[in-house]
Amino acid sequence: MSTLCPPPSPAVAKTEIALSGESPLLAATFAYWDNILGPRVRHIWAPKTEQVLLSDGEITFLANHTLNGEILRNAESGAIDVKFFVLSEKGVIIVSLIFDGNWNGDRSTYGLSIILPQTELSFYLPLHRVCVDRLTHIIRKGRIWMHKERQENVQKIVLEGTERMEDQGQSIIPMLTGEVIPVMELLSSMKSHSVPEEINIADTVLNDDDIGDSCHEGFLLNAISSHLQTCGCSVVVGSSAEKVNKIVRTLCLFLTPAERKCSRLCEAESSFKYESGLFVQGLLKDSTGSFVLPFRQVMYAPYPTTHIDVDVNTVKQMPPCHEHIYNQRRYMRSELTAFWRATSEEDMTQDTIIYTDESFTPDLNIFQDVLHRDTLVKAFLDQVFQLKPGLSLRSTFLAQFLLVLHRKALTLIKYIEDDTQKGKKPFKSLRNLKIDLDLTAEGDLNIIMALAEKIKPGLHSFIFGRPFYTSVQERDVLMTF
Amino acid sequence: MISAPDVVAFTKEDEYEEEPYNEPALPEEYSVPLFPFASQGANPWSKLSGAKFSRDFILISEFSEQVGPQPLLTIPNDTKVFGTFDLNYFSLRIMSVDYQASFVGHPPGSAYPKLNFVEDSKVVLGDSKEGAFAYVHHLTLYDLEARGFVRPFCMAYISADQHKIMQQFQELSSEFSKASECLKTGNRKAFAGELEKKLKDLDYTRTVLHTETEIQKKANDKGFYSSQAIEKANELASVEKSIIEHQDLLKQIRSYPHRKLKGSDLCPGEGLTQDQADRASTTSNPDESASTDLYTCRPTYTPKLIKAKSTKCFDKKLKTLEELCDTEYFTQTLAQLSHIEHMFRGDLCYLLTSQIDRALLKQQHITNFLFEDFVEVDDRMLEKQESIPTKPSQDRLPSRSLEECPIPKVLISVGSYKSSVESVLIKMEQELGDEEEVQVTELSSFDPQENLDYLDMDMKGSISSGESIEVLGTEKSAFVLPMSDSQASLTVPLSPQVVRSKAVSHRTISEDSIEVLSTCPSEALIPDDFKASYPSAINEESYADDNEEAIHFQASISPPELGEAEEGSLENTQSQVDSCCIGKESEGQLVSLPAPAHALSDEDRVVSIPPQRHRQKDQGFHGDFSVENPSSQDNNCEGFPAYEVDPSHMLANRDVSKTSLDNYSDTSHMSSVASTSSDRIPSTHPAGLSSERHKKRAGQNALKFIRQYPFAHPAIYSLLSGRTLVVLGEDEAIVRKLVTALSIFVPNYGCYAKPVKHWASSPLHIMDFQKWKLIGLQRVASPAGAGTLHTLSRYSRYTSILDLDNKTLRCPLYRGALVPRLADHRTQIKRGSTYYLHVQSVLAQLCSKAFLYTFCHHLHLPSHDKEAMQLLASRQASFLRLTLGLVNEDVRVVQYLAELLKLHYMQEAPGTSHPVLRCDYVPSFLYKI
Repeated sequence: MSTLCPPPSPAVAKTEIALSGESPLLAATFAYWDNILGPRVRHIWAPKTEQVLLSDGEITFLANHTLNGEILRNAESGAIDVKFFVLSEKGVIIVSLIFDGNWNGDRSTYGLSIILPQTELSFYLPLHRVCVDRLTHIIRKGRIWMHKERQENVQKIVLEGTERMEDQGQSIIPMLTGEVIPVMELLSSMKSHSVPEEINIADTVLNDDDIGDSCHEGFLLNAISSHLQTCGCSVVVGSSAEKVNKIVRTLCLFLTPAERKCSRLCEAESSFKYESGLFVQGLLKDSTGSFVLPFRQVMYAPYPTTHIDVDVNTVKQMPPCHEHIYNQRRYMRSELTAFWRATSEEDMTQDTIIYTDESFTPDLNIFQDVLHRDTLVKAFLDQVFQLKPGLSLRSTFLAQFLLVLHRKALTLIKYIEDDTQKGKKPFKSLRNLKIDLDLTAEGDLNIIMALAEKIKPGLHSFIFGRPFYTSVQERDVLMTF
Repeated sequence: MISAPDVVAFTKEDEYEEEPYNEPALPEEYSVPLFPFASQGANPWSKLSGAKFSRDFILISEFSEQVGPQPLLTIPNDTKVFGTFDLNYFSLRIMSVDYQASFVGHPPGSAYPKLNFVEDSKVVLGDSKEGAFAYVHHLTLYDLEARGFVRPFCMAYISADQHKIMQQFQELSSEFSKASECLKTGNRKAFAGELEKKLKDLDYTRTVLHTETEIQKKANDKGFYSSQAIEKANELASVEKSIIEHQDLLKQIRSYPHRKLKGSDLCPGEGLTQDQADRASTTSNPDESASTDLYTCRPTYTPKLIKAKSTKCFDKKLKTLEELCDTEYFTQTLAQLSHIEHMFRGDLCYLLTSQIDRALLKQQHITNFLFEDFVEVDDRMLEKQESIPTKPSQDRLPSRSLEECPIPKVLISVGSYKSSVESVLIKMEQELGDEEEVQVTELSSFDPQENLDYLDMDMKGSISSGESIEVLGTEKSAFVLPMSDSQASLTVPLSPQVVRSKAVSHRTISEDSIEVLSTCPSEALIPDDFKASYPSAINEESYADDNEEAIHFQASISPPELGEAEEGSLENTQSQVDSCCIGKESEGQLVSLPAPAHALSDEDRVVSIPPQRHRQKDQGFHGDFSVENPSSQDNNCEGFPAYEVDPSHMLANRDVSKTSLDNYSDTSHMSSVASTSSDRIPSTHPAGLSSERHKKRAGQNALKFIRQYPFAHPAIYSLLSGRTLVVLGEDEAIVRKLVTALSIFVPNYGCYAKPVKHWASSPLHIMDFQKWKLIGLQRVASPAGAGTLHTLSRYSRYTSILDLDNKTLRCPLYRGALVPRLADHRTQIKRGSTYYLHVQSVLAQLCSKAFLYTFCHHLHLPSHDKEAMQLLASRQASFLRLTLGLVNEDVRVVQYLAELLKLHYMQEAPGTSHPVLRCDYVPSFLYKI
């Protein structure tokens, strides 16, 4: 890494974070475009380590580079753009979220960046979406806070005429810290507990001599079926790490290698926190035998989630993608609106907002029983245990099953694409689709639609969104009477 | 429907969304859209609509020291592609930051300028307002006349889909790195050449200056130097210094760090560069090395007098990218970029699915050969290509590259592409004729495989495998011999090898069929483990022994006699047998069929070709099997490479071969495994079938077929169950089209072959039914050929016949549930490509069933006593019916596929499965529209 970087001037505030495990993250930075001095770094977050891998000067140099060129920024209003750098000369990768905001009375451009060593590229890429989604949301909130603070401070300055402009807006840093630290912790936990790209089928339930050896047949069927119906996004909770991890690995067999790298095993001793955006994660119950899922984070996951309890063999699932996305967006808008209306700093504390706003009464009962049965997973489970375990036969059979699912998903996308002329016309022939593609069982359709959603985002909303939104609107209208 | 909206998260949501009158609303820029996918007409396909360009493209830009960032060229070089998109502005955006900032020039403490070999940088950025997102690959090239000797460039892949860029980041990075390495290698070569020239100029200048100084010295008798002489001396010193500097630079560029070469992906030219670097490093004297270097191969350079210190001026014309790089490497870089553009073109969902597909198929090498497009072969070939570093000219290049190169004037040494040309020519010679051959020669740098893929798209009809291999030299000579059809099949002298008796290796008896696996000309040998998994086959052998019967495949009569006997007797026996069977069948399954049972002509009969007595047929059978080189019969079209005789497949026990066909009942089911040296495997080039256009066309025609022909189901059933389907018609184009369409339902024998013969104009031969499972046959219009259908009917044990002219089909009855799912005439699928995908997914399901049936150990436990065998048979039947959910004839489809899987699995060399001759002694029906 370069040693020819200029020293930062003035000295940049830095927060050192103590992490329990290895941190793949070198640093996070918050920079802004100064109209006189150009790009400046406001704050650095770095893991507390004995060995300094990047000096503050180097971090500042890199962070400045992320904003360089943004004088030409040409973005839509409110856009938060993502830039991604692989700088081999410096041996680092940088992820930057660039956005415009009002601070100190000026509209300016800002960049929140995380820096990792280049050696972590393949580790990071599967987690890119998780990191970006989470940082994007905290930026949305931080931007509102910057805007509100400016107004308040302007009033204050007018009244008191004492405060220096540079001191304003500092309070966005604690807000960003509130998300940067969890992202660092997430990456650290993924470094030690992520599911490997290749899973040995011997470590899963599919290696049992017979179905039902490890867990109840119906439970396994429900778990895999629901897992596939919720786009491969599941939370497995239990009291035994071993048991939880076996189910986690089993469910991960149905994911792509990249998705597996975005899944996490359960920690043996203590439990991890729930992390929004992972595909499968194992979580250990506490001594009281419970695990509390943070509602907000579950809602902010990109896909609906299946909740699997291996202690009591229950499987619950969230509503399908279009409903999930709709609920998620309403929640986000509500949260941002509440933030916009908050009058004091205490009100802005992110985790208390849903309790402080009396009108904020979301339905917390988002996990429902698996209603729709499928024939695809059922037939697969009935058949796979007929093959002798211990050989590669079951792996091959599983690969065939997944191939069929993916091909059906692609056929479904193509079918809809043809029928609607690439979305120009509404899709009206769901019944025909079911018959033509042999997806008459609701569960089968859900599974294939979920797979299709992952490779063609927005498909659910396009197919089912209109009637769903209409019915919600109708209901809302009816409720007003 | 997906679950009804009975659960709504926020029942009071509208309350808190409602704006209080005294507070300002949340500005939209700080909010998130409520309907990210469904608002304002947005849909999953509308992402691209916002962009000003029509599709993805590659932009090469430079940070010019004179004018700043500027676009240089686009790939494809078509203004329609980038439309009104502002390339200047975007170049400014992507080139405004130097991400490779590193020191170049005179570092502190160094007497001479140092070249810094900087690593490439990769950046993903976007312009959300323009809807343009880019992967930008920054690189630095060397130019002796540039400031600091460096010229920063970048190659950007521009797309409207941001997710595509990030999700394909590693692939993009890897592919662009190859292009970059190629460009940089060419640049180092050009830079070294430039330095050499400069050194020669300097050397020449030094000599001139030295001479002038000496003259002045001699002329000087005053004892002191004139100002002119001092000036000359200074100039000379300056030239000396410049020479040392340039020699140092030359040394540096030649000693390009080896680690970088080894660490990076091998680009086409790396092998060459490595050699040069090695040579340079072993030569101590730069001048000496220069003289031995490959660089000196260029035309001799005449040095000229130059100024020692070149002044930087900004009115000079900077070198173009092409000038900065060796021509050959530059062309290859453009070809690689063109390849990248093709590779990542289109909707992300197809890219992702194809990647997932490929990964999953790698895990299924046991079943892939059945219906997949030879993925395994492709992969293996690719791996092979990647593992062999070759010279640039022989390296893999993308298809369609050169024609899209923006600089078509660049000439490529044809000789250097010899190998690829040769391989293409072989193919072309047979398929496209001379005209295309020339064309391909021009496109000489193509990768043969991709090239064929490309060519395939341009040809009408499809190419069968056989067509690509038949032109091999050894076979070619056989085809050149002009021979009539009848001669081809009958008059070829019998080889001593073939006269040997053929072996019946195994025979199975089921309720209604006898199966014979035989090899010709030599005995088949089924591996021991194979026997173990075929208990019935073992029993069958003993059955053969018990009866002391044998099949005599040798030609006991001369072929012409045989032919005559066959033809003559067929006429006589046909009607007898037919009428006999009409009665027989009318009692049974044909009740529902409306056609009169007394109809005599083939066209009118709506009954099956009956299970026939085989005397006449056997003669034909014997004769056919004894033909030494059946390839000669196909003098007008495809030929096939010979099977190599696999000694491991020879039966040790020759006695087993003595079994007579005469003992087979009319309901027997016979199959024959051929492993003769004269057999030829049908072979399509692996890439042939994989082209998208081919799939689309095949799917479209298949869709038409199932909609137009009510008897599509039994026809497809025939193909899936291994019964050869002959498509008979006068018009070659129509027949070819249908054969291509139906070929998607034909299971393969091995990785290299699709047993499809698109067009045959000569009479069919028994061997043809062994080799081909789908045949397009010309109906001869002459009176002599009027009986084509009639002649064919003698093979009705082995074939189903689809008469395109009369719109009839003669084949066994089908009552399963599988084919209707595969080919429903009421389907609302609109496009051929979609239907092809649907077929692929149903066939993948079918493969999975066959795999399960084949490898379910409890279904194939060896058993010797009759009771155990019966138990096993009933277990198998129950498994097929209950576990796999198969009904009626569907069972036979899975059994056939399982048989192919077993054969393939048992092969020592995968992909060399032998074709199976099957004949079903089940009644055939005549279907009419």
